[in-house]
Amino acid sequence: MTPNKLIPLAEAVRRYTWDGMQYASGAALPIGSDAIVFGRELLRQGRRDLHAIFHSSSQQLNLLAGAGAAVKAECGFSALEVFGFANGLRRAVESGGMALEDYSNLAMVLRYLGGALNWPFVPATTNIGSDIQYRSAFAPDQHPARDKIPAVTDPFSGREIGAYRPLTPDLAAIHVTLADMTGNSIMLGTEWSRFELSRAAKKVVVVADAIVDSGCIRQFPNLVRIPDLIVEAVVYWPFAAWPQGSPGLYDVDEEHMNLMNQALATQAGTDRYVADFVTGYDGLDSYLDMIGGARLAELARTETAFLLDPYRQWILSPDHVERLSAKAEAA
Amino acid sequence: MSALDYTRQEMMAIATGREIRDGELAIFGVGLSMLAGYFAQAHHAPNVRAMTEGGVYGATPVGGLPWGIECNRLSVNATSFTNALDALGFLVGSGRCDVGIIGAAQVDKFGNVNTTGIWDGEIGEAYRPPKTRLPGAGGANDIACGAKRTVIMVTHEPKRFAEKVTYISSPGYLEGGNARERYGFPGGGPAAIITTLGILRPDAETKEFRLESWFSFSSIEEIKANTGWPLKVAPGAHVVPEPTEPELAALRRVDQTGALRRKA
Repeated sequence: MTPNKLIPLAEAVRRYTWDGMQYASGAALPIGSDAIVFGRELLRQGRRDLHAIFHSSSQQLNLLAGAGAAVKAECGFSALEVFGFANGLRRAVESGGMALEDYSNLAMVLRYLGGALNWPFVPATTNIGSDIQYRSAFAPDQHPARDKIPAVTDPFSGREIGAYRPLTPDLAAIHVTLADMTGNSIMLGTEWSRFELSRAAKKVVVVADAIVDSGCIRQFPNLVRIPDLIVEAVVYWPFAAWPQGSPGLYDVDEEHMNLMNQALATQAGTDRYVADFVTGYDGLDSYLDMIGGARLAELARTETAFLLDPYRQWILSPDHVERLSAKAEAA
Repeated sequence: MSALDYTRQEMMAIATGREIRDGELAIFGVGLSMLAGYFAQAHHAPNVRAMTEGGVYGATPVGGLPWGIECNRLSVNATSFTNALDALGFLVGSGRCDVGIIGAAQVDKFGNVNTTGIWDGEIGEAYRPPKTRLPGAGGANDIACGAKRTVIMVTHEPKRFAEKVTYISSPGYLEGGNARERYGFPGGGPAAIITTLGILRPDAETKEFRLESWFSFSSIEEIKANTGWPLKVAPGAHVVPEPTEPELAALRRVDQTGALRRKA
């Protein structure tokens, strides 16, 4: 029998996360598909001292950093693109509350690749010669840093290059557009580094905007870049990336992106934001109510909606998913 | 001034777009550099093979400046979605990309770029957090190492033009001369720094950036006054041709939401 891995979000966080862990998410660029609800739930359950691995920061890391839950982070890019600096992250870094180790965007995916392949190191032909190599927030007293991107010799050319340390995070919470109940997942839009991260992480939880019948997976197996055999659990959560966007399903919520980032600029604002938008809902229905029906409908009127057309016939209704989830819990 | 009314930001974008040649494999960052790049495509480089590091290919932005390189304003008409390893690794880090446009918070006389942070003075021996944290390198370091040439776009202010950047996020010519050669980068380094006042290009030997041309609303004196090192003027320095009507029209079609039209 096909295993049913659907579990509630709160249960996924209880089961697969702990204080001080290396937690990876945000693998789809700063304002795109990211499992932001997973970060909200980490805060709801009071997780702390996290070592965050985010290829690019997103509103999730902005929130975790702003709320003081992450004490270390490794990133290639740590702002919100056209929405500007990530104020919560910025406050945490500038105050010394979170040590942020800088890499480039290519470096981060290569480090996932190295972790996925169990390589001892990955040759670095970029990031060398710049302060990304010479300065380390994790070993601030070393200058030049010795353990971050140490120099190694290319055995073929004799040239000095660098070595990236591979990443194997304890858990990756990965946002996907569609998943079946066993964890086979389809991502619409750029996958950025979700493919490599899914192989580098010790465990993977997928957070899906929609659940599909497995017929969909068998129709498009080439598009299933995250297969069930590496997935521990599936969380069904529509608008999981809100206020960021999910191609085919919903646009970026410009107003809330700004509201959230402005709130995270101060401790008082962060406390208010957490009260209103993190602990201020209880379960999926009340999360959707919190965003508001009119707003949800507006965000769902995305010009990219046609991207979802080939898959629509297999999308399961919320009631159907609820019945499947109940079955999984009973099992 | 000509009869055309345009902003300094628009002139900077047009001058940057003029660096892009038809048919090139080109990579653009989010924001202004994307507008400059897609302006080139709309005006004189219809066959430019434009991409962003997001791995979203074949797309032309709709509805104005995209919020990000993964955003629905680009995803809406893409012909291929891939990933970071493909865009930044296979197509840029490999040395295949012809030209990249990157931004800077701070740039120095050898074209080194800081987008990581602002410190009060030097960082010192031990690393310490910046007074103001900036976005970090993103893909710009990989573009600066891998693209055959880069164009740096930056607002011309004294605080942004330093003798030496506090933190090298993305390498230009490092300490100048042939310093880049130590690292075997496939890319050749920055071909130009294009600002809100004019254009700087590197000396062929020393790699020190010199003033090559200024915009018609600017002057050698104004540019020198806004540069944090004793800026040399290249022989034959001249004024940059103003935007033509077709150029401005093409830019404004791309910059539908008017990001560049707000006067600073």
